[in-house]
Amino acid sequence: MKKRIGSILTALALGLTAQAQTPRLIIGAVYVGGVNDYGYNRSFHDALAQVARDLPGVKLLEAENVPESGEVERVMEGMIQHGAKLIFPTSFGYQDSARKTARRHPEVCFEYAGDGAATRNFGVFFGSTQAAWYPMGVAAGKMTRTNKLGFVIGLPIGYALGNVNAFELGARSVNPKAQTVVVVTGGWSDKAKEAGAANALLDQGCDVVGMHVDSPATIIQAVEARGAMSIGFQSLEARALAPKGWITGLGFTWAPFFTRIANAVIAGKFRGEAIYQGLGEMVAVAPFGAAVPADVRKLVNAAADKVAKGYNPFTGPLNNNQGGQALPPGATVGADQMGDLNWYVEGVIGKVR
Amino acid sequence: MTTPLFSGVLAGAILSGTSLLYATLGETLVERAGIVNLGLEGILLIGASTGFATAAATGSAWLGLLVAALSGGLANILFGWLVVSRRANQLASGLAMLFFGFGLSALVGTPYVGAVITGLPKWRPAWLAALPWVSGSTLFNYDALTWMALPVAVLVWWALFRTRWGLGVRAVGESPAAAFASGRSPGILQFQALSAGGVLGGLAGAHLSLSLTLTWAEYMTAGRGFIAIALVIFSKWHPLRAVAGALLFGGAEALQLQLQARGTDVSPFLLEMFPYLLTILVLLAWGGARRLAAPASLGRTFYGSE
Repeated sequence: MKKRIGSILTALALGLTAQAQTPRLIIGAVYVGGVNDYGYNRSFHDALAQVARDLPGVKLLEAENVPESGEVERVMEGMIQHGAKLIFPTSFGYQDSARKTARRHPEVCFEYAGDGAATRNFGVFFGSTQAAWYPMGVAAGKMTRTNKLGFVIGLPIGYALGNVNAFELGARSVNPKAQTVVVVTGGWSDKAKEAGAANALLDQGCDVVGMHVDSPATIIQAVEARGAMSIGFQSLEARALAPKGWITGLGFTWAPFFTRIANAVIAGKFRGEAIYQGLGEMVAVAPFGAAVPADVRKLVNAAADKVAKGYNPFTGPLNNNQGGQALPPGATVGADQMGDLNWYVEGVIGKVR
Repeated sequence: MTTPLFSGVLAGAILSGTSLLYATLGETLVERAGIVNLGLEGILLIGASTGFATAAATGSAWLGLLVAALSGGLANILFGWLVVSRRANQLASGLAMLFFGFGLSALVGTPYVGAVITGLPKWRPAWLAALPWVSGSTLFNYDALTWMALPVAVLVWWALFRTRWGLGVRAVGESPAAAFASGRSPGILQFQALSAGGVLGGLAGAHLSLSLTLTWAEYMTAGRGFIAIALVIFSKWHPLRAVAGALLFGGAEALQLQLQARGTDVSPFLLEMFPYLLTILVLLAWGGARRLAAPASLGRTFYGSE
């Protein structure tokens, strides 16, 4: 009994000191989905949790499943009332609400995951994944036995086509016979169709499947259930879903960038900028699965290094999959032009529209 | 090794048609009793999320299935309380149930987003697996819900058309006053049809989360509840025609994905429209033949016989 009272008293004392220590910075984060999705939202949550752990006096306020509507403005206003001085609106569709809120609160800093112009208190950032898919293609091209790779995408937007193209280019660089078959599901989160798409690809003899959808969980599990191999996307943690068939994957690593921004806000030196970083900065290669032999790991790491040092797989001459030339010799498509991409590279089986 | 188109499409049709069939059978039962539940999508979501949450928390997909069935039944009983006991407007109450289902399923499911579950076990008889056009596909490698889908359809048909209870349900759907005059209690029959229909709707949702996708995501049903309502009309309120409808629609979706995977030179956007185009065409072809008409009192509130 005495012990219990003692512990209650300590708890009270701790609570009081915690309250006395006002945090140096309160960070607000708004997510469009749940943070345990093994995908996009989890990547942000993991990074911000790390920032809160590493920097003393930083507190994190999070809101999950916030729709891309006026709702997000209310959530951000609430965070500001609770003292948030740095806010991460992490979904593309938050743009208008976030910009409006930023104009109303010039004293609060925003870092928006998307595109558009930066202002003094409104930074814009995103990870460029397209070139990063090149080493994923190297991994798939080496691991496939059927020379048929599958790729499930939600919608044929430029960013997704870029991922597919770099994947195929990487695969061809080590396996000239490798083809990539694309299935479009028509949405970023239609789980039943994602399972059907994975099955359709496996039915056609694909033995490695990559994907660009919100959460890779359904596809990776469907592929694993049929004994094929997968390459993950969005969160590095997705490998837990495929103990046998996991090759590798791409995940976002926002923590170093977020730490830099948090420190800038604490120091009062924040200035909004548009920052896009690729492999080696905001994007990382996930750990390899057990089935991946050492020589393949070496090749993939070498390709990843090459891309991190600035190699652009989208360098002409490149043919499209309709038999025409997509890029003349020497021409390139930069990371900032991926949104406008509208062709599949030779070796991809699929139609853009 | 590649799978023939036919096997791939059939396999996909059966996999994605399973949940459609359960949902369609559930709604058929309810509509035969004269009630339209536009909230079917919400029931599916409740089944999918409660089933998944239970499976994730207890490690048992079977327990998840049970909870999904029960919560689907309960949701429909709540709906029955509105439209039968309180005599609320069915269309408005159905839409309310839809949004209630969205919210409740999200609330229940959120802590379990990203949970990894062992789905319902699947098995395939060895002699079927040995067939050359089967071995490479997912054909006949099914969980209990898929294996039971056809028997359940026959059971619903038998209950509706070969039992006294079914006669009573259909009588209430045609004319509750006449059923009442013949000594039946329309309210009780409607509640019975609603709870059975809710159980089937819950199972439909459970098949999505516990077998097909092994995940829970908000609004993962992606309109399948509404497609099932259309399939009820498509199958003209008949459980056995519902089997054909679910297969056809599931097949249209599977064909679309299979054609893409085969590299067919057709626009993905066009293929995307295909299942819906098919629905419109069939509804047009069926037309308004009298023999195939809806239960006469569908959607009407029975105010008693005074």
